[in-house]
Amino acid sequence: MNEEMYILFDQYLQNEMTIEERTNFERQLAEDELMASSFEAFKEMHFQLANKFGIAQEREAFKANLKTISEANFKSAQPKVIQFKPWYFAAAASVAVLFGLFFFNQNADPNFEDFNHPEQAYFTERGNLDAVLKQAEGAFNTKNYKTAIPLFETVLKEKKTPEIQYFYGIALLEENQFAKAETVFNELKSGTSAYKEKALWYLALSKLKQKDYKACKQILETISQDYENYDDVQELLEELD
Amino acid sequence: MEKSKIHPDQMYIEGLASNNSAVIQSIYKKFVPKVVYFIKNNSGDEDQAQDVVQEVMILLFNQAKANTLQLTCPFDAYFFLLCKRRWLNELKKTSNKGVTINEDLVSVKESTQEMILQTEAFDEKQQLFDMMFQKLGDKCKELLQWSFTLKSMEEVAEKLDVTYGYVRKKKSLCVGQLTQWIQEAQIYKSLKK
Repeated sequence: MNEEMYILFDQYLQNEMTIEERTNFERQLAEDELMASSFEAFKEMHFQLANKFGIAQEREAFKANLKTISEANFKSAQPKVIQFKPWYFAAAASVAVLFGLFFFNQNADPNFEDFNHPEQAYFTERGNLDAVLKQAEGAFNTKNYKTAIPLFETVLKEKKTPEIQYFYGIALLEENQFAKAETVFNELKSGTSAYKEKALWYLALSKLKQKDYKACKQILETISQDYENYDDVQELLEELD
Repeated sequence: MEKSKIHPDQMYIEGLASNNSAVIQSIYKKFVPKVVYFIKNNSGDEDQAQDVVQEVMILLFNQAKANTLQLTCPFDAYFFLLCKRRWLNELKKTSNKGVTINEDLVSVKESTQEMILQTEAFDEKQQLFDMMFQKLGDKCKELLQWSFTLKSMEEVAEKLDVTYGYVRKKKSLCVGQLTQWIQEAQIYKSLKK
């Protein structure tokens, strides 16, 4: 490998040459076809690297959003994705009963459990599906949040996506690690991912669980009406009034 | 490319680049059903259709972000053919059936043809680059990743706990290594043709 040449290319691109050196360099390029084509390839690599890493975060946010929208659009024709299981009916029925009981008891403040229905984690990173992430998913879905937390932490050290952060945050909240959970949701809240509104909702639930009703209400009021579960938001707001 | 030639459907591209949910949603409503229908009628299922659509959307996002995607044709035919050709290529990979994939390009407008080939070339370049990047040693990978994520090489040096001079030199050499491999791959490819 022609090390000197690549160092020279880099210096040129970083604008670190004197005017004389630049002129020399450009003259060399004009005369030496081989060097010119290497320089083109070198610039192309810079372009590819900038595209790969420079927008990595935005790309992850886009992918997460795309996945959500895609699943919503394919869902109706695709029972496999919904994973409709009989016990969902049982769960839904018991939630309905809970709400029913709740309305009889008008004086009580709303509580966390009534509004906390975490969805199932379903990480389908194609290709090298991380074994640890799979474990975390399993632990989370079986409500072993204590087990799931350190697993999520391991994965997040390697790969940080809004989706993983989101489920990590829920696990923390379930375990009453409020400060840590809120840090995670706050980070998601200021991001651009599909989890932005969901993070706000869970921030509100965190306040609810800590019986800080005023803060809970304030956060709920910042949730956009486009949020997919806005019904829940309205319901909780009414309860708080 | 002249500004005046850009098709109004460029809004879909801009929408993808800015991760605009409403635009993504409208693409799913307006253009995706046709793709799903085609794939299901050509030995595929819904899952596979969903994958193909997502891959093409991510490709368009990448190309739009690199500022090299300026639509000069309607989005409809462009998007459908990209998905269709990707699916047929996939079929070709898994079965040994000979699938001719260029015939459908003859029937569309020249501007659409050109756009599709441009996007596919972008995809090919990116894939080749990714393959070469994976070949790099871990040190190079890490250093390049930080070099293109952090604002300055001073920060990279600090992050990796080495000197500024070292990261600068190492970065040139790692990019150099990639450059060399890509050039070799390109020569190999042109010989094969």
